[in-house]
Amino acid sequence: MGRAVPLVLFAAVWQLVVSSGLINREFLPPPTAVAVAFADLFTGGDIAKNLFVTLFRAGAGLLIGAACGVWIGAMMARSQHFKDYVMPIVGGTYSLPKSALIPLFALWFGIGNVTAIAAVFLACLLPMIVNTYHGVTTTPKVLVWSAQALGTARREVWSRVYLRNALPDIFTGLRIALGFSFVLAISAEMIASTNGIGKLIFMYGENGTYDYMFAAIACVVVVAFFADRGLLLVTRRLLGWHESAVADHERRRA
Amino acid sequence: MIQGVSAPGRDAARVPWRSVASVAGLLIVWEASARAHLTPVLFLPPVSDVVDQLWRSTADGTLARDLFLSLGRAFSGLALGTVAGVMLGLLMARNRVIEWLADPLVALGFPSPKIAFIPIFILWFGIASLSKILLVAFACIFPVIIGTYNAARSVNRLFLWSAMSLGSGRTSLFAHVILPACYPRIFTTFRIAVPVGLITTFTAEMVAGGGGMGATLIYSQRFFESPTVFAYILVMLGVGLVLDAAVRKFQRHFLNWAEEAGA
Repeated sequence: MGRAVPLVLFAAVWQLVVSSGLINREFLPPPTAVAVAFADLFTGGDIAKNLFVTLFRAGAGLLIGAACGVWIGAMMARSQHFKDYVMPIVGGTYSLPKSALIPLFALWFGIGNVTAIAAVFLACLLPMIVNTYHGVTTTPKVLVWSAQALGTARREVWSRVYLRNALPDIFTGLRIALGFSFVLAISAEMIASTNGIGKLIFMYGENGTYDYMFAAIACVVVVAFFADRGLLLVTRRLLGWHESAVADHERRRA
Repeated sequence: MIQGVSAPGRDAARVPWRSVASVAGLLIVWEASARAHLTPVLFLPPVSDVVDQLWRSTADGTLARDLFLSLGRAFSGLALGTVAGVMLGLLMARNRVIEWLADPLVALGFPSPKIAFIPIFILWFGIASLSKILLVAFACIFPVIIGTYNAARSVNRLFLWSAMSLGSGRTSLFAHVILPACYPRIFTTFRIAVPVGLITTFTAEMVAGGGGMGATLIYSQRFFESPTVFAYILVMLGVGLVLDAAVRKFQRHFLNWAEEAGA
């Protein structure tokens, strides 16, 4: 809880520079005004409605992307032929700034849900493929041999040895994909959508209702923060057995 | 980018026929379906048209102009974000008060989708290059802060003690021991920051206009000039690939001591 003190300090300084007239409140609405706008947005249902749309797009793209990514990554680790065919496409699109495809998807699918979900899907797909592949291919041979020696069926070796060994990597990929899903959903909404929180933020900016704009942005920041923390919590729960995974995430924690 | 996926040395000489076949197959299916009008030309122009457009954009200089503008913005922002991020990360690692103050802000800022802040940057810095450069810096600074902070926190104590006992002052400790010890980790985060910088630049240009690759891309889409859309996407893909390869080469060249040093 002590970690919130600097945030309160930050808000106090912000309030001070605005109310003392050091910075024009046209440029920086004071936190009190933002808080009022925040409350208004929530009671008015504007945020709830648009946030729900954005979360649906980000979530749908993330889920489909993660599922396909794990599958493709596992297939690449399993079959050299499959890997040879897929590799140039995966390697090529990995470095492509995925938001560049938003105009193309807008051309194909029009503006709205499908474009946003397709962009999120593609952005989430690649880190999942790469991390799953890495996780599966680094499975210690000893584990596989032991399982086989104990009479584990081929299918079981996959679900209980390879994929389980890849789980920490899969969750690392999932965390990257989660971040991408918000970025892409909001970008797609700003570029090609009529609703969603990205559009809402942009609209408030164009209308000049900056207190509402700041409130909506604050809302996005808070949601993204808790989504990230939530995923970390689930990861730590599920991978409690995996010593390095826990230590790894501890280290990476800001 | 993809570690362990590249072919091991034994296979290096082997021509990856299947990879060639899959790319060639993709291009042929694309060209054929566009030529046979299986898909509207508006949605999928033939490869040959895209190449033609690419050639025309290169010849009349629009592509070069857009590319330089975008890359200039991306690299200015990246440089700004990296320098500021390294300084902040080092300060946070060495100073308790700064750490206490900055830690919650970094924790909150790191997972946030930075593109959502673009209207604020437009409001403060206009729609020209400055707002984009600063947004890129803002997007890149968080991973760099965290990477530098973690690296500086884990500098081998023996290095610090040796330097101090040999009479290093605070500044020389920073410049000659802590910073060099952090280089490999800083570079790793820089590699993460490069694509972030590119994506942020292109997206900001698409959203806010003001010239550059992203702006031209979105205008071409609005006027249904599909060959230009595809040509620009291909160029962006190429830029991503080239930059990633360059950064990796740089890392191998200048930081090859890192693994041997056991940093």
